[in-house]
Amino acid sequence: MVRRLVRWHVNFILSCATTGVSPNELAGDRRTDLRDAGKQDTVEKAPAPFLARHEFLIRRLHSLSGLIPVGAYMVVHLTTNASVLNSSATFQRAVYAIHSLGNLLPLVEWTFIFLPILFHAIIGVVIIRGGLPNTGSYKYTNNIRYTLQRATGMIAFLFIMWHVFHMHGWFHFPAWLRVAEPLGGAQFSPYNAASTLGAAMSGLVVPALYAIGVLSCVFHLANGIWTMGITWGVWISPAAQKRADVVCTVIGVGLAVLSMSALGGAMKIDVEEAEAVENRMYEAKLATGELDEASSAHKRADHAAGEEHSSSADASRLHAGAGRAE
Amino acid sequence: MAEEAREGRSSKDHFEVRILRQNGPGQSSYWERHRVKYEHDMNVISVLQRIAAQAETVDGKSVAPVCWDCNCLEEVCGACSMNINGRVRQACSALVDRLLEDNPSEIELQPMTKFPVIRDLMVDRSRMFRGLTRVKGWVPVDSYENMGPGPRQTRATQEVAYPLSECMSCGCCQEACPQYTKIELTRQEGESEEDFSARKNEAFDRGFVGAHAISQAMLFNSNPTGKNAAGERLDALMAEGGIQVCGNAQNCVEVCPKNIPLTTSIARAGRATTLHALKKWFDE
Amino acid sequence: MGKKRVMVVGGGLAGLAAAMKLAELDIDVDLMSLTPVKRSHSVCAQGGINACNEQTRQLGDSEWKHFDDTVYGGDFLQHQPPVKEMADWAPRVIDLMDRLGVTFNRTHEGFLDRRRFGGTLYKRTAFAGATTGQQLLYALDEQVRRWEAAGRIKKYEFWDFLGPILDDQGECRGCVAQDLVSMEIRSFPADAVVVATGGCGLIYGRSTMSMVCTGSAVSRCFQAGAKYGNPEFVQVHPTAIPGADKLRLMSESARGEGGRVWVPRTPHDSRAPGDIPENERYYFLEERYPEYGNLVPRDIATREIFDICVNEGLSVETDKQCVYLDLTHIPVAELNRKLGGILEIYEKFQGVDPRLNPMKIFPAVHYTMGGLWADYQRTAEGGLEPGSPRNQVTNIPNLYAIGECDYQYHGGNRLGANSLLSCIFTGLFTAPGLQNLLESQSGAAAEMDASLFESERKRHQDQHDQLLRRDRGGENPYLIHQELGDVMTKAATVVRRNEQIQEAYQTVSDLEARAAKCSLSDTGNWTNQNVVFTKALQDMFPIAKAILKGALQRDECRGAHYKPEFAMPSLESTDAAGRQAEAEAWCDRFEANNEKWLKSTVVRWDGSEPDIQYEDVDTSLIEPRPRLYGLVGAEVIMEVWKARRAKQKAEKQADPNAAATVGS
Repeated sequence: MVRRLVRWHVNFILSCATTGVSPNELAGDRRTDLRDAGKQDTVEKAPAPFLARHEFLIRRLHSLSGLIPVGAYMVVHLTTNASVLNSSATFQRAVYAIHSLGNLLPLVEWTFIFLPILFHAIIGVVIIRGGLPNTGSYKYTNNIRYTLQRATGMIAFLFIMWHVFHMHGWFHFPAWLRVAEPLGGAQFSPYNAASTLGAAMSGLVVPALYAIGVLSCVFHLANGIWTMGITWGVWISPAAQKRADVVCTVIGVGLAVLSMSALGGAMKIDVEEAEAVENRMYEAKLATGELDEASSAHKRADHAAGEEHSSSADASRLHAGAGRAE
Repeated sequence: MAEEAREGRSSKDHFEVRILRQNGPGQSSYWERHRVKYEHDMNVISVLQRIAAQAETVDGKSVAPVCWDCNCLEEVCGACSMNINGRVRQACSALVDRLLEDNPSEIELQPMTKFPVIRDLMVDRSRMFRGLTRVKGWVPVDSYENMGPGPRQTRATQEVAYPLSECMSCGCCQEACPQYTKIELTRQEGESEEDFSARKNEAFDRGFVGAHAISQAMLFNSNPTGKNAAGERLDALMAEGGIQVCGNAQNCVEVCPKNIPLTTSIARAGRATTLHALKKWFDE
Repeated sequence: MGKKRVMVVGGGLAGLAAAMKLAELDIDVDLMSLTPVKRSHSVCAQGGINACNEQTRQLGDSEWKHFDDTVYGGDFLQHQPPVKEMADWAPRVIDLMDRLGVTFNRTHEGFLDRRRFGGTLYKRTAFAGATTGQQLLYALDEQVRRWEAAGRIKKYEFWDFLGPILDDQGECRGCVAQDLVSMEIRSFPADAVVVATGGCGLIYGRSTMSMVCTGSAVSRCFQAGAKYGNPEFVQVHPTAIPGADKLRLMSESARGEGGRVWVPRTPHDSRAPGDIPENERYYFLEERYPEYGNLVPRDIATREIFDICVNEGLSVETDKQCVYLDLTHIPVAELNRKLGGILEIYEKFQGVDPRLNPMKIFPAVHYTMGGLWADYQRTAEGGLEPGSPRNQVTNIPNLYAIGECDYQYHGGNRLGANSLLSCIFTGLFTAPGLQNLLESQSGAAAEMDASLFESERKRHQDQHDQLLRRDRGGENPYLIHQELGDVMTKAATVVRRNEQIQEAYQTVSDLEARAAKCSLSDTGNWTNQNVVFTKALQDMFPIAKAILKGALQRDECRGAHYKPEFAMPSLESTDAAGRQAEAEAWCDRFEANNEKWLKSTVVRWDGSEPDIQYEDVDTSLIEPRPRLYGLVGAEVIMEVWKARRAKQKAEKQADPNAAATVGS
């Protein structure tokens, strides 16, 4: 079974790399493809492409990845962020807790967050391109939700790409950061969590875009849990689906309140006061030896920690410092 | 009233019908207007019958009768599905009085969009029947000899199975499904009938199988004898174009003229395929 | 190459049953239908399928009683051996359909549930909600699809049968057919052709039948020389919902589940039906036929409803004829479970919930008992010889007729829930005979000289092309069809009068001449429904004329054929002796009438007119008897009849020589 799994993954990557993910392969509309295929296939049946052969598994993994780890991560993220409502220090402590993983953090981030999100997003785009939304003719609630699920998915994808750039910068090697920072990227510094967050959330445009993006994510997750339950056969009868719908609505509303609170909290941060608190906490950690200056510098705001300190960090490594709550 | 009629709008004793016509596969479609005399208790079939008999448009132009498919006229054969005022349904049960209540100015008829048009309102739904073959929609009995009665079944089993077996393959669920997209192939020069049919079937087998076929698979998987081929049916539902293509828009169950619990079947198939996949991964 | 094939024309219950059984016997089958077979008219059958069963057996039922009910219901006009065989097979047919996954309703314990139907006192009818025909058809459709996937059956859907191909010896070697999409006309060599194309209700314009039931395939065989039996016997179903395009069936099962037919005793009572008290309601069927009640055979129920509306003026509505069919006393849950399908139809098309309001219904043309004449081979026991190629063959060798389009099983009137049985039975039973036929033939049709097939194809192609080239401005086929329907409905349905039929015959002949001059509004060669309809219309006339001529000549009342002029007298006398004398006279007349008219009408088409002959009916198993269904006031007739029979029997036993002549 392990061999099968490995072979499968190799195939998957190869096939994505060589053919690109064609929207027609996973979705219904194969008109053009098959016309061409048919020309060669009249005598002998050509084997279906890899993605088509494993359509079921890919779609189920897509469904699963939306909940675990992507959805679960989103809940943790929003909760962490909402802790800023208590105080800047609480938020900073939560961020420190995440960063206590140290050098393992990037691995965890890529395996459990970035790759699953990318997988979910790319397959999601393929799925969207295979459908023909028809809410114009059929204005049923569930059909509107079908269309909204796709719309919010696309918004969420764009938002997350921007959000990761905005806060995190995508990559952390200095050459890139010199490009990203002037473009408004990589605004967040984990050891100055609240203050950099507060600074990034200034004005009205950015918070407004965040509100749209985050609410899209929340709808997409809550509605996605409901459809996932049908897809996997958890809730079957219309009555069970109705009950599940109530639960998912509660989850969605809860997450919406949580996320909007976090956003409101971020907007209200007094940057200078927060920075003072963060710096005190940082000094204390240095004093106890919990952190050392050399490996911490790149996680501090530029004016708090000089550029020279971070140069010792392995710059060529793709250092993704997520977990700072995005 | 006379004025209204002259202006080409529906009046009390006449009403207008706008039909999207197409002379043959691959040709462009065009709208055509007909005026029909109002009678009591009319349905869309009787409207089309009148149009066929008069064979003349609003402008007095002689035209070929509109081509359409129908048979039983009491909503059990599934033949007369079409888009009426923008929504797919059976033409026989579409009563003119109701349609005019919703839209007094005219009745609009269009062929289904998810199946290739043969002519006018008539479409080729062979893909639906192919779907039934795909999921092995039958009870695999040994023979038709006299072997006594079938296995005894509870009333509860029958009450679950019966609604599913009312499916008349009308195609409404596919037409309304945003995940079901049209597959239209044309016969190539020099291609034999058999080759073309094989090529079509292969294309159909890769397209989304659709709610009706998923539901039929569940019907036969619940039959005491049909169960014996349950694994094969689930394999079919997990192949390309299988149940995974469903996007849970649930239009199928809304438009089904027989009120078949299609989304229940889909969820049931979802569970069955989940378990079947696990079984295949860990047992085989 | 050269493998033998059977062409089955028609994909309803009979055609599908034959196709799947042939496939099982390793015979290649071509299956041709005007529609995808899943949409065949059999889906419209609602109530159920009859068979003697364990439940009824305990109450004294048997296959023989089913047989007896069927011939009594048919007014003894059927040859008895095929009917006996069918009744014997009935339990097996239901077992098979059960195994094929038909979702029959179940009892609490899990057995097949049964209900009562017309013309019997036993609950013989197995049913799947109120869509039994649909469920049975789907089970067979699925099996045929299974054989199609295995390559044994090839379907030709959207093809129109244009006629059989006969060789120089007059034997059928295949057929010509037209693709309704591409309009291609093609010859199909076949070693046997089985016609299973159902009834011809469209001759009556509106009926309970589907739009494909034009009778054209049967008519084309008839015009090619096949004999047609009992054309005048057309069933008018007592309960249908009137509509502009169709008269929709309201199943007999509504009455089988307790539905009651009534009218207000006050003509056109304006009160809502629920407000009319019991004693002001006239349950006329229950009052006139206390034993069978609402479940008298269809011909009788139809005539009674007609009589109530037309002669007694008790129609519910002033401007149209209808009576109440009332289910409102039955719990809604039970109605939904057993009759859901038909109640939905009523609700959808009438906009009234029949669970809460009595339905308004009126009779409508429903079934053709008559059809292509078919042969059978009798065994010594009085059944059919299994595997005999003679069973179901028409007078044209290799051309078979099964299902509604043969004339064998229902005589003068078909009992409810027997049609599904006769269709499946004939389909299954004919297949082994066809196997033997194919084995006995020397060569395969596919290996014959192609010129026969080509010349037949060309003949049909020329006719088709000629029709398309017709000048504009001729007759409109749709309007002629309407006129034909009106004439036929007026002259040849419930009540028939000779002068009316004669007049109708003339009108139909005129319409036939006009139909020959039809011009088409569509002259294209792609999915031309106009030309297909016009051809079907032209082929309605030979059958319509056979119906009228058969009805005109048959001066008696039998089953669905009712002429008031020749009706048996009712007993008028009030004193016992007088009634006794009247009953004696009645029985004399009954015997004399049977002597003259207990005969099948057998029609041949001479090219322009039907030519009628009469054929004796094999009544060797059950002796014909007065068909009164316990009519109130006619009890004495049955008493006299029974006394006579007893006396004859005693004489027979005393004189064995006399017995030989009576029994022959």
